[in-house]
Amino acid sequence: MNLPLAAIWGQDPGSGALIGYLVGAFILGVVMMVAMTKMPTRGRKPSVWIATFASGFFYFLFWIWPSPINRGPSDLPVGFSEKVGFGLQDALPKVANIAIILTAFLLGLGIYSLLHVHLGRLFKKQKDWQFSLILVVSMVLMIIFGYWDWMQRQFNDPDLLLAKMDNWGFVNYSFDLLFDGLLQQMDAAMFSMIAFFILSAAYRAFRIKSIEATVLMASALIMILSIMGAVDMVYSNMIDSMTGGDPGHFLNDAKITAVASWVKNTMQVPALRALEFGVGLGALAMGLRLWLGLEKGGVS
Amino acid sequence: MSENLSIWEKMQSFDRRWLYLVLIVLVTFGLFVSPDIPAQPDESSVGLYVTLDGLDENDTILIQSDWTNSTRGETLGHLEALLRTVMAKRIKFVMYTFADPQAPQVSRDALRRLNDELPEDKRYKLGIDYLELGYFPNAEGATQSLGNNIRTFWEGRKTRVEGNGGDEMDIFRTPVLENIQKLEDCGMICVVTPSNTIDIAVERLSGKLPICCMCTGVVGPQILPYYNAGQVAGLAIGLKGVYDMEMMMAGGLNLDKADYPNSVRSDKYSENKALPVVSPIEGKSSADYSLGRGKKYYAALNIALALMVLAVIAGNIGMYAAKRRERNA
Repeated sequence: MNLPLAAIWGQDPGSGALIGYLVGAFILGVVMMVAMTKMPTRGRKPSVWIATFASGFFYFLFWIWPSPINRGPSDLPVGFSEKVGFGLQDALPKVANIAIILTAFLLGLGIYSLLHVHLGRLFKKQKDWQFSLILVVSMVLMIIFGYWDWMQRQFNDPDLLLAKMDNWGFVNYSFDLLFDGLLQQMDAAMFSMIAFFILSAAYRAFRIKSIEATVLMASALIMILSIMGAVDMVYSNMIDSMTGGDPGHFLNDAKITAVASWVKNTMQVPALRALEFGVGLGALAMGLRLWLGLEKGGVS
Repeated sequence: MSENLSIWEKMQSFDRRWLYLVLIVLVTFGLFVSPDIPAQPDESSVGLYVTLDGLDENDTILIQSDWTNSTRGETLGHLEALLRTVMAKRIKFVMYTFADPQAPQVSRDALRRLNDELPEDKRYKLGIDYLELGYFPNAEGATQSLGNNIRTFWEGRKTRVEGNGGDEMDIFRTPVLENIQKLEDCGMICVVTPSNTIDIAVERLSGKLPICCMCTGVVGPQILPYYNAGQVAGLAIGLKGVYDMEMMMAGGLNLDKADYPNSVRSDKYSENKALPVVSPIEGKSSADYSLGRGKKYYAALNIALALMVLAVIAGNIGMYAAKRRERNA
């Protein structure tokens, strides 16, 4: 089944036909966006619902319709059921691509929103405008050096010499400094601050005030000690000396790793399964409400 | 009044910044000493290493690298251990991400560092030994499409090939993917993640190929049900998972100590045996090649955890001392 969309995605990069399709898609997108903006709320809600239902209906059909198994590249469908099954299977990557492209638009939306907020604060010299300036400058620098680095690698490095650091130049070092030297290090530093909060909480908040808290603390201690190899090994060796190395001895069950394994497999995993079931049922209910247009929020 | 307080009660009100200072000093000390700390590998880490050990040189695997540097204490070690094993065994791989736009660059940097360590003839070459396919937004849709048909999902994608003069080539014509007709032809998929992208992989790809995961300690418990159910073949959790992997890579698993003195023991999986990785760098032993961030950070982890246990104990003793004083007053 050759979908009309396949004709668009199948064009050669840089060909006139592809550019024509892209311009057409852009104009259609702008027209649709303007139409949606001008549309009264009364009309907008059904439009959003129809788009949502159609998108969900494809995946619903894909899920319930018998799917061809071990299909070869030259296999042809026989009968209506197989034709639909083949068609759905062929359409899935195209639909997934559309979903991927739509999701990628969120990045653009994020950049727009960020610039809208911070440029506004900057030009109006609102409180903490200096931070907005740093943010915008950092973003612009990262975009410039990111693209510059990418273009060098893509178009000026046919032998892929830049894969080795020895061949780097100013642009590559600058991008590495910005991305790995600054952004990623700050990212790691922010995350590592959790260690301080956890330690502070362990000292000030983790108190045995009830039976539940005692059980929680006992479990936590077992899990912590099981990760500490040195403690585990000393304790295990002690038990081994008592059992004489007999793997069938009941005292082996008192090893920290054995107790931790029991806590994980007998307590933690079933509890998590129950939670996952609950979350799954909630997601199913929410998904159905969104799909069938019963959820009123977010479409006005 | 205050001079009658016990040391435990006085400690209840001391400045928390002292606690932070102790943490900084001790953890920093832990980073500079990296002693051999004996540890039994977790059963889930054993599963991962045994799965990797079962791969052949001609296999192609998928590496879904969904992490960024915020969790690099754990996930960078995971990816490095995985790549070192894969590169030592000359297994081909496809690397991509479904989670974060920054992730491809982060994993690219990690791969470059490891590649730079290798001698020229052993270096992994783009388009020949591995592929980098970048970022795919919408993990749910992308994973479903990958599971449906790997050929149509990545249809038309091109890559540069090292030694090809800069020309691009269809990825399914490269040595990495030329023998892959369907997802089941891949040796395994390993998801390196600090988030729930492994859930999606299990939901959409289960039963098609062995799924393994390397995740942060926070996410680990959430994935254990999949491991216990057999849907995930192997799972390295947190920094302990990195250490487990490195120890097994360096010494092998459940091997005869006479032949492999550094072999680690797993009581629960004593029937599973796996060889250590063979270092691709001449003059470097398996241990020298394999031991990296796991060994470097494990002492610091032990120290931090010991400090936390002490903090909990000291905090509770202080609380009881204060309660006792109130009762006696």
